[in-house]
Amino acid sequence: MIKSKYVNKWMGYSGALAFAAIFMVGCVSDVKKDDAGEGVAEVDSSATKLMTIGGNMFSIPSPIQTAMLIEKSGADYNKSFLNDAKKVTTYATNYQKALNLGVYGADVGYVTIYDQSQDAIKYLSVINKLSDELGITGAFDENTIKRFENNFGKRDSMLNLVAVAYRNSDAFLKDNDRMNVGALILAGGWIETLYFSTQIAVKNKNQDVINRIGEQKYTLNNIVKMLTQYYNQPEYDVLVDDLIELAYDFDAIDIQYTYEKSTVDIAKKTTKINSKTVVVITPEHLKAIADKVAKIRNKIVGQQ
Amino acid sequence: MKTKTLKILSAALIMGLAHVGNASAQCDSIAKICSENVTANYISDGQSYRALLNGDQVAEFRATFYGGSTYRIAGCSGFTDGNLIFEIYDEDHNQLFASSEYKNTPYWDFQFGSTVDCTIEAKLNSANSMSGCATLIIGFKQ
Repeated sequence: MIKSKYVNKWMGYSGALAFAAIFMVGCVSDVKKDDAGEGVAEVDSSATKLMTIGGNMFSIPSPIQTAMLIEKSGADYNKSFLNDAKKVTTYATNYQKALNLGVYGADVGYVTIYDQSQDAIKYLSVINKLSDELGITGAFDENTIKRFENNFGKRDSMLNLVAVAYRNSDAFLKDNDRMNVGALILAGGWIETLYFSTQIAVKNKNQDVINRIGEQKYTLNNIVKMLTQYYNQPEYDVLVDDLIELAYDFDAIDIQYTYEKSTVDIAKKTTKINSKTVVVITPEHLKAIADKVAKIRNKIVGQQ
Repeated sequence: MKTKTLKILSAALIMGLAHVGNASAQCDSIAKICSENVTANYISDGQSYRALLNGDQVAEFRATFYGGSTYRIAGCSGFTDGNLIFEIYDEDHNQLFASSEYKNTPYWDFQFGSTVDCTIEAKLNSANSMSGCATLIIGFKQ
Protein backbone atom coordinates (compact mmCIF):
# COMPACT_ATOMS: atom_id res chain seq x y z
CA MET A 1 0.00 0.00 0.00
CA ILE A 2 2.85 2.37 0.75
CA LYS A 3 5.09 3.01 -2.18
CA SER A 4 8.66 3.75 -1.22
CA LYS A 5 8.86 7.06 -3.02
CA TYR A 6 5.37 8.03 -1.96
CA VAL A 7 6.31 9.84 1.18
CA ASN A 8 3.10 11.10 2.64
CA LYS A 9 4.31 14.16 4.39
CA TRP A 10 1.22 16.26 4.20
CA MET A 11 1.96 19.31 6.20
CA GLY A 12 0.29 18.07 9.33
CA TYR A 13 3.17 15.74 9.82
CA SER A 14 5.93 18.23 9.24
CA GLY A 15 6.51 18.87 12.91
CA ALA A 16 7.18 15.21 13.48
CA LEU A 17 9.42 15.19 10.46
CA ALA A 18 11.52 18.11 11.58
CA PHE A 19 12.10 16.71 15.02
CA ALA A 20 12.55 13.24 13.73
CA ALA A 21 15.20 14.52 11.37
CA ILE A 22 17.10 15.96 14.26
CA PHE A 23 16.64 13.38 16.93
CA MET A 24 15.93 10.15 15.20
CA VAL A 25 18.37 9.86 12.33
CA GLY A 26 20.47 6.84 12.97
CA CYS A 27 18.38 5.85 15.94
CA VAL A 28 15.55 4.17 14.17
CA SER A 29 15.87 1.84 11.28
CA ASP A 30 12.54 0.14 11.47
CA VAL A 31 9.28 0.88 13.17
CA LYS A 32 6.72 -1.76 12.49
CA LYS A 33 3.12 -1.08 11.65
CA ASP A 34 0.83 -2.24 14.37
CA ASP A 35 -1.76 -4.93 13.85
CA ALA A 36 -4.48 -2.40 13.22
CA GLY A 37 -3.20 -1.89 9.70
CA GLU A 38 -2.43 1.13 7.60
CA GLY A 39 -1.96 4.72 8.52
CA VAL A 40 0.59 4.07 11.24
CA ALA A 41 3.90 5.87 11.54
CA GLU A 42 6.78 4.03 10.06
CA VAL A 43 10.28 4.78 8.95
CA ASP A 44 11.26 4.82 5.34
CA SER A 45 14.92 4.13 5.89
CA SER A 46 15.56 3.64 2.19
CA ALA A 47 14.86 7.20 1.23
CA THR A 48 15.71 10.25 3.22
CA LYS A 49 16.21 8.80 6.69
CA LEU A 50 13.57 11.18 7.88
CA MET A 51 10.73 9.68 9.79
CA THR A 52 7.91 9.31 7.33
CA ILE A 53 4.28 8.57 7.85
CA GLY A 54 2.80 5.60 6.10
CA GLY A 55 -0.64 5.36 4.61
CA ASN A 56 -2.70 7.93 2.82
CA MET A 57 -3.99 11.36 3.56
CA PHE A 58 -7.75 11.36 3.47
CA SER A 59 -10.30 13.77 2.17
CA ILE A 60 -13.61 13.36 3.98
CA PRO A 61 -16.51 14.68 1.89
CA SER A 62 -18.14 17.82 3.21
CA PRO A 63 -21.25 17.22 5.39
CA ILE A 64 -22.83 20.12 3.50
CA GLN A 65 -23.08 18.06 0.32
CA THR A 66 -25.20 15.34 1.88
CA ALA A 67 -27.34 17.91 3.72
CA MET A 68 -28.00 19.53 0.33
CA LEU A 69 -29.04 16.19 -1.08
CA ILE A 70 -31.41 15.63 1.85
CA GLU A 71 -33.07 18.98 1.26
CA LYS A 72 -33.33 18.21 -2.45
CA SER A 73 -35.01 14.89 -1.64
CA GLY A 74 -37.97 16.81 -0.26
CA ALA A 75 -37.43 15.89 3.38
CA ASP A 76 -38.85 18.44 5.80
CA TYR A 77 -36.66 20.31 8.27
CA ASN A 78 -36.49 18.29 11.46
CA LYS A 79 -34.86 19.93 14.44
CA SER A 80 -35.02 16.73 16.48
CA PHE A 81 -32.20 15.27 14.37
CA LEU A 82 -29.78 17.90 15.62
CA ASN A 83 -27.61 17.95 18.70
CA ASP A 84 -28.94 20.32 21.34
CA ALA A 85 -26.76 23.45 21.46
CA LYS A 86 -27.20 23.57 25.24
CA LYS A 87 -25.21 20.37 25.59
CA VAL A 88 -22.04 22.23 24.70
CA THR A 89 -21.30 22.83 28.38
CA THR A 90 -21.30 19.08 29.13
CA TYR A 91 -18.33 18.26 26.92
CA ALA A 92 -15.37 18.10 29.27
CA THR A 93 -12.49 16.43 27.42
CA ASN A 94 -10.76 17.59 24.26
CA TYR A 95 -11.90 14.33 22.66
CA GLN A 96 -15.57 15.16 23.33
CA LYS A 97 -15.11 18.78 22.33
CA ALA A 98 -13.43 17.93 19.02
CA LEU A 99 -15.99 15.33 18.01
CA ASN A 100 -18.86 17.64 18.86
CA LEU A 101 -17.22 20.53 17.06
CA GLY A 102 -17.62 18.32 14.01
CA VAL A 103 -21.19 17.41 14.96
CA TYR A 104 -22.22 21.04 15.39
CA GLY A 105 -20.51 21.90 12.09
CA ALA A 106 -22.73 19.40 10.29
CA ASP A 107 -25.74 20.79 12.16
CA VAL A 108 -25.00 24.37 11.16
CA GLY A 109 -24.76 23.20 7.54
CA TYR A 110 -28.13 21.45 7.82
CA VAL A 111 -29.96 24.40 9.40
CA THR A 112 -28.42 26.85 6.93
CA ILE A 113 -29.57 24.76 3.98
CA TYR A 114 -33.10 24.87 5.42
CA ASP A 115 -32.85 28.66 5.88
CA GLN A 116 -33.09 28.46 9.66
CA SER A 117 -30.76 31.40 10.17
CA GLN A 118 -31.45 31.98 13.86
CA ASP A 119 -30.69 28.34 14.65
CA ALA A 120 -27.53 28.68 12.60
CA ILE A 121 -26.37 31.64 14.70
CA LYS A 122 -26.99 29.61 17.85
CA TYR A 123 -24.87 26.75 16.51
CA LEU A 124 -22.14 29.12 15.35
CA SER A 125 -21.92 30.44 18.90
CA VAL A 126 -21.34 26.97 20.34
CA ILE A 127 -18.83 26.23 17.58
CA ASN A 128 -17.02 29.41 18.53
CA LYS A 129 -17.00 28.32 22.18
CA LEU A 130 -15.71 24.81 21.45
CA SER A 131 -12.99 25.97 19.08
CA ASP A 132 -11.90 28.50 21.68
CA GLU A 133 -11.70 25.80 24.35
CA LEU A 134 -9.70 23.61 21.98
CA GLY A 135 -7.24 26.46 21.43
CA ILE A 136 -8.02 26.80 17.73
CA THR A 137 -7.28 30.36 16.78
CA GLY A 138 -8.01 32.31 13.65
CA ALA A 139 -10.89 30.15 12.41
CA PHE A 140 -14.09 30.92 14.31
CA ASP A 141 -14.72 34.15 16.15
CA GLU A 142 -17.30 36.88 16.58
CA ASN A 143 -16.32 38.23 13.20
CA THR A 144 -17.30 34.92 11.54
CA ILE A 145 -20.76 35.23 13.10
CA LYS A 146 -21.08 38.85 11.99
CA ARG A 147 -20.08 38.03 8.44
CA PHE A 148 -22.54 35.15 8.50
CA GLU A 149 -25.32 37.51 9.61
CA ASN A 150 -24.36 39.99 6.90
CA ASN A 151 -24.94 37.27 4.31
CA PHE A 152 -28.41 36.24 5.48
CA GLY A 153 -30.43 35.16 2.46
CA LYS A 154 -27.35 34.17 0.43
CA ARG A 155 -27.28 30.49 1.27
CA ASP A 156 -24.14 29.44 -0.62
CA SER A 157 -22.18 32.42 0.75
CA MET A 158 -23.21 31.48 4.30
CA LEU A 159 -22.26 27.83 3.72
CA ASN A 160 -18.92 28.81 2.24
CA LEU A 161 -18.16 31.09 5.20
CA VAL A 162 -18.63 28.16 7.57
CA ALA A 163 -16.71 25.76 5.31
CA VAL A 164 -13.76 28.13 4.97
CA ALA A 165 -13.71 28.59 8.75
CA TYR A 166 -13.51 24.79 9.12
CA ARG A 167 -10.74 24.69 6.50
CA ASN A 168 -8.79 27.33 8.45
CA SER A 169 -9.31 25.31 11.59
CA ASP A 170 -8.02 22.18 9.81
CA ALA A 171 -4.94 24.08 8.61
CA PHE A 172 -4.29 25.45 12.10
CA LEU A 173 -4.46 21.98 13.66
CA LYS A 174 -2.16 20.49 11.03
CA ASP A 175 0.32 23.37 11.40
CA ASN A 176 0.37 22.74 15.14
CA ASP A 177 0.82 18.99 14.94
CA ARG A 178 -2.68 18.29 16.25
CA MET A 179 -3.94 16.10 13.43
CA ASN A 180 -5.70 13.87 15.95
CA VAL A 181 -8.04 16.74 16.87
CA GLY A 182 -8.62 17.52 13.19
CA ALA A 183 -9.44 13.86 12.54
CA LEU A 184 -12.04 13.87 15.32
CA ILE A 185 -13.69 17.00 13.96
CA LEU A 186 -13.98 15.40 10.52
CA ALA A 187 -15.28 12.15 12.04
CA GLY A 188 -17.87 14.00 14.16
CA GLY A 189 -19.20 15.88 11.14
CA TRP A 190 -19.37 12.72 9.08
CA ILE A 191 -21.20 10.71 11.75
CA GLU A 192 -23.74 13.48 12.36
CA THR A 193 -24.55 13.74 8.64
CA LEU A 194 -24.80 9.97 8.36
CA TYR A 195 -27.10 10.02 11.39
CA PHE A 196 -29.66 12.37 9.94
CA SER A 197 -29.43 10.90 6.44
CA THR A 198 -30.11 7.37 7.76
CA GLN A 199 -32.98 8.57 9.95
CA ILE A 200 -34.54 10.29 6.95
CA ALA A 201 -33.89 7.44 4.50
CA VAL A 202 -35.52 4.81 6.71
CA LYS A 203 -38.67 6.94 6.71
CA ASN A 204 -38.92 8.47 3.24
CA LYS A 205 -37.02 5.75 1.33
CA ASN A 206 -35.62 8.30 -1.13
CA GLN A 207 -33.32 6.34 -3.43
CA ASP A 208 -30.78 9.15 -3.89
CA VAL A 209 -30.34 9.46 -0.13
CA ILE A 210 -30.13 5.67 0.25
CA ASN A 211 -27.45 5.52 -2.45
CA ARG A 212 -25.53 8.30 -0.73
CA ILE A 213 -25.59 6.28 2.49
CA GLY A 214 -24.24 3.25 0.64
CA GLU A 215 -21.45 5.35 -0.83
CA GLN A 216 -20.29 6.10 2.70
CA LYS A 217 -18.66 2.67 2.64
CA TYR A 218 -15.67 4.36 1.00
CA THR A 219 -15.54 7.19 3.51
CA LEU A 220 -16.02 4.93 6.51
CA ASN A 221 -12.96 2.94 5.47
CA ASN A 222 -10.99 6.17 5.15
CA ILE A 223 -12.14 7.43 8.55
CA VAL A 224 -11.21 4.16 10.24
CA LYS A 225 -7.75 4.30 8.67
CA MET A 226 -7.39 7.95 9.64
CA LEU A 227 -8.33 7.34 13.29
CA THR A 228 -6.58 4.01 13.77
CA GLN A 229 -3.22 5.74 14.10
CA TYR A 230 -4.49 7.30 17.35
CA TYR A 231 -5.94 4.07 18.68
CA ASN A 232 -3.66 4.07 21.70
CA GLN A 233 -4.83 7.48 22.89
CA PRO A 234 -7.52 7.54 25.59
CA GLU A 235 -11.10 7.41 24.27
CA TYR A 236 -10.12 6.95 20.62
CA ASP A 237 -10.17 3.17 20.91
CA VAL A 238 -13.89 3.07 21.70
CA LEU A 239 -14.75 5.18 18.66
CA VAL A 240 -12.51 3.17 16.34
CA ASP A 241 -13.99 -0.10 17.63
CA ASP A 242 -17.52 1.25 17.08
CA LEU A 243 -16.66 2.34 13.55
CA ILE A 244 -15.06 -1.00 12.72
CA GLU A 245 -18.23 -2.67 13.98
CA LEU A 246 -20.23 -0.37 11.68
CA ALA A 247 -17.93 -1.25 8.79
CA TYR A 248 -19.06 -4.87 9.08
CA ASP A 249 -22.61 -3.72 8.30
CA PHE A 250 -21.34 -1.65 5.39
CA ASP A 251 -19.57 -4.71 4.04
CA ALA A 252 -22.99 -6.05 3.08
CA ILE A 253 -23.43 -3.17 0.63
CA ASP A 254 -22.51 -4.04 -2.91
CA ILE A 255 -20.84 -1.26 -4.90
CA GLN A 256 -20.22 -1.94 -8.58
CA TYR A 257 -17.85 0.41 -10.33
CA THR A 258 -17.36 0.63 -14.10
CA TYR A 259 -14.69 2.77 -15.68
CA GLU A 260 -15.61 4.84 -18.70
CA LYS A 261 -13.37 7.24 -20.53
CA SER A 262 -13.72 10.85 -19.40
CA THR A 263 -14.51 13.71 -21.77
CA VAL A 264 -12.62 16.98 -21.68
CA ASP A 265 -13.58 20.54 -22.54
CA ILE A 266 -10.25 22.33 -22.61
CA ALA A 267 -11.75 25.77 -23.18
CA LYS A 268 -13.83 25.43 -20.03
CA LYS A 269 -11.05 23.66 -18.16
CA THR A 270 -13.49 20.90 -17.34
CA THR A 271 -13.34 17.13 -17.36
CA LYS A 272 -16.55 15.14 -17.26
CA ILE A 273 -16.07 11.89 -15.40
CA ASN A 274 -18.25 9.30 -17.12
CA SER A 275 -17.45 6.29 -14.92
CA LYS A 276 -20.42 4.72 -13.18
CA THR A 277 -21.01 3.46 -9.68
CA VAL A 278 -24.05 1.39 -8.73
CA VAL A 279 -24.94 0.89 -5.07
CA VAL A 280 -27.02 -2.08 -3.93
CA ILE A 281 -28.36 -1.88 -0.38
CA THR A 282 -31.32 -3.77 1.03
CA PRO A 283 -33.90 -2.20 3.40
CA GLU A 284 -32.72 -4.59 6.13
CA HIS A 285 -29.12 -3.44 5.80
CA LEU A 286 -30.25 0.16 5.74
CA LYS A 287 -32.16 -0.33 8.99
CA ALA A 288 -29.23 -2.12 10.63
CA ILE A 289 -26.88 0.68 9.63
CA ALA A 290 -29.33 3.36 10.79
CA ASP A 291 -29.63 1.73 14.23
CA LYS A 292 -25.90 1.34 14.66
CA VAL A 293 -25.14 4.88 13.50
CA ALA A 294 -27.74 6.23 15.95
CA LYS A 295 -26.03 4.40 18.81
CA ILE A 296 -22.58 5.72 17.89
CA ARG A 297 -23.87 9.23 17.34
CA ASN A 298 -25.84 9.31 20.57
CA LYS A 299 -22.78 8.12 22.46
CA ILE A 300 -20.83 11.02 20.98
CA VAL A 301 -23.37 13.71 21.78
CA GLY A 302 -24.15 12.22 25.20
CA GLN A 303 -27.67 11.03 24.51
CA GLN A 304 -27.60 7.43 25.63
CA MET B 1 31.25 17.19 27.00
CA LYS B 2 27.74 17.12 28.38
CA THR B 3 27.47 20.90 28.02
CA LYS B 4 28.60 20.72 24.41
CA THR B 5 26.07 17.99 23.63
CA LEU B 6 23.36 20.03 25.29
CA LYS B 7 24.27 23.08 23.22
CA ILE B 8 24.15 21.06 20.01
CA LEU B 9 20.77 19.61 20.93
CA SER B 10 19.45 23.06 21.86
CA ALA B 11 20.64 24.51 18.55
CA ALA B 12 19.06 21.58 16.71
CA LEU B 13 15.81 22.12 18.59
CA ILE B 14 15.72 25.82 17.71
CA MET B 15 16.50 25.02 14.07
CA GLY B 16 13.76 22.43 14.07
CA LEU B 17 11.24 24.86 15.51
CA ALA B 18 12.30 27.52 13.03
CA HIS B 19 11.92 25.02 10.20
CA VAL B 20 8.44 24.07 11.28
CA GLY B 21 7.43 27.70 11.78
CA ASN B 22 8.79 28.76 8.38
CA ALA B 23 7.23 25.79 6.65
CA SER B 24 3.83 26.52 8.19
CA ALA B 25 4.03 30.18 7.24
CA GLN B 26 5.10 29.27 3.71
CA CYS B 27 2.24 26.78 3.35
CA ASP B 28 -0.25 29.29 4.74
CA SER B 29 0.82 31.91 2.18
CA ILE B 30 0.65 29.42 -0.69
CA ALA B 31 -2.74 28.15 0.46
CA LYS B 32 -4.07 31.70 0.53
CA ILE B 33 -2.94 32.34 -3.04
CA CYS B 34 -4.17 28.92 -4.16
CA SER B 35 -7.63 29.46 -2.67
CA GLU B 36 -8.12 32.40 -5.07
CA ASN B 37 -8.44 29.80 -7.83
CA VAL B 38 -11.51 28.37 -6.10
CA THR B 39 -13.97 31.12 -6.93
CA ALA B 40 -17.00 32.19 -4.90
CA ASN B 41 -19.41 29.91 -6.74
CA TYR B 42 -17.66 26.91 -5.18
CA ILE B 43 -18.12 25.91 -1.54
CA SER B 44 -14.97 24.77 0.24
CA ASP B 45 -14.86 21.12 1.31
CA GLY B 46 -13.62 22.39 4.69
CA GLN B 47 -10.20 20.74 4.60
CA SER B 48 -6.65 21.87 4.04
CA TYR B 49 -4.25 19.63 2.12
CA ARG B 50 -0.58 20.47 2.29
CA ALA B 51 2.75 18.66 2.17
CA LEU B 52 6.41 19.45 2.22
CA LEU B 53 7.95 17.68 -0.73
CA ASN B 54 11.51 17.11 -1.86
CA GLY B 55 12.68 16.00 -5.28
CA ASP B 56 10.45 13.37 -6.81
CA GLN B 57 8.43 12.61 -3.69
CA VAL B 58 4.75 12.15 -4.34
CA ALA B 59 2.00 13.00 -1.89
CA GLU B 60 -1.20 11.07 -2.31
CA PHE B 61 -4.58 11.13 -0.72
CA ARG B 62 -7.88 9.37 -1.03
CA ALA B 63 -11.02 11.30 -1.88
CA THR B 64 -14.60 10.39 -2.67
CA PHE B 65 -16.30 12.63 -5.21
CA TYR B 66 -20.07 12.55 -5.22
CA GLY B 67 -22.15 12.11 -8.35
CA GLY B 68 -24.17 15.17 -9.32
CA SER B 69 -21.49 17.56 -8.08
CA THR B 70 -18.90 19.64 -9.88
CA TYR B 71 -15.57 19.99 -8.10
CA ARG B 72 -12.81 22.48 -8.58
CA ILE B 73 -9.39 21.26 -7.56
CA ALA B 74 -6.59 23.80 -7.28
CA GLY B 75 -2.99 22.69 -6.83
CA CYS B 76 -0.16 25.07 -5.99
CA SER B 77 3.42 25.19 -4.80
CA GLY B 78 5.44 28.37 -4.59
CA PHE B 79 3.99 31.69 -5.60
CA THR B 80 3.62 31.21 -9.34
CA ASP B 81 1.50 28.84 -11.42
CA GLY B 82 2.75 25.55 -12.78
CA ASN B 83 4.95 24.42 -9.90
CA LEU B 84 2.73 21.51 -8.87
CA ILE B 85 1.69 18.57 -11.00
CA PHE B 86 -1.38 16.63 -9.90
CA GLU B 87 -3.01 13.51 -11.22
CA ILE B 88 -6.30 11.79 -10.39
CA TYR B 89 -6.89 8.05 -10.55
CA ASP B 90 -9.98 5.94 -9.98
CA GLU B 91 -10.09 2.90 -7.71
CA ASP B 92 -8.75 0.68 -10.50
CA HIS B 93 -5.90 3.14 -11.08
CA ASN B 94 -7.27 4.36 -14.39
CA GLN B 95 -5.97 7.87 -14.87
CA LEU B 96 -8.84 10.36 -14.96
CA PHE B 97 -6.76 13.51 -15.17
CA ALA B 98 -3.18 14.77 -15.34
CA SER B 99 -2.47 18.48 -14.99
CA SER B 100 0.74 17.96 -16.96
CA GLU B 101 -1.41 17.45 -20.07
CA TYR B 102 -2.72 20.99 -19.66
CA LYS B 103 0.47 23.00 -19.10
CA ASN B 104 0.43 22.21 -15.37
CA THR B 105 -2.77 24.16 -14.96
CA PRO B 106 -3.19 25.41 -11.37
CA TYR B 107 -6.86 24.40 -11.31
CA TRP B 108 -9.39 22.28 -13.16
CA ASP B 109 -13.09 21.45 -12.86
CA PHE B 110 -14.55 17.94 -12.67
CA GLN B 111 -18.15 16.99 -13.28
CA PHE B 112 -19.02 13.70 -11.64
CA GLY B 113 -22.14 12.01 -12.97
CA SER B 114 -21.68 9.17 -10.51
CA THR B 115 -19.83 8.87 -7.21
CA VAL B 116 -16.21 7.78 -7.66
CA ASP B 117 -13.56 6.87 -5.12
CA CYS B 118 -10.29 8.44 -6.24
CA THR B 119 -6.65 8.90 -5.39
CA ILE B 120 -5.00 12.25 -6.04
CA GLU B 121 -1.25 12.32 -6.45
CA ALA B 122 0.73 15.53 -6.29
CA LYS B 123 4.39 16.18 -6.99
CA LEU B 124 6.62 19.15 -7.63
CA ASN B 125 7.43 20.25 -11.15
CA SER B 126 11.13 19.43 -11.04
CA ALA B 127 11.84 21.98 -13.79
CA ASN B 128 10.83 24.75 -11.38
CA SER B 129 11.75 23.58 -7.90
CA MET B 130 13.33 20.73 -5.99
CA SER B 131 11.53 21.28 -2.70
CA GLY B 132 8.55 23.17 -1.41
CA CYS B 133 5.10 23.17 0.07
CA ALA B 134 2.46 21.48 -2.05
CA THR B 135 -1.08 22.67 -1.45
CA LEU B 136 -4.41 21.47 -2.74
CA ILE B 137 -7.74 23.23 -2.30
CA ILE B 138 -11.06 21.58 -3.17
CA GLY B 139 -14.40 23.28 -3.68
CA PHE B 140 -17.72 21.95 -4.95
CA LYS B 141 -21.06 23.05 -6.32
CA GLN B 142 -24.21 20.98 -6.67
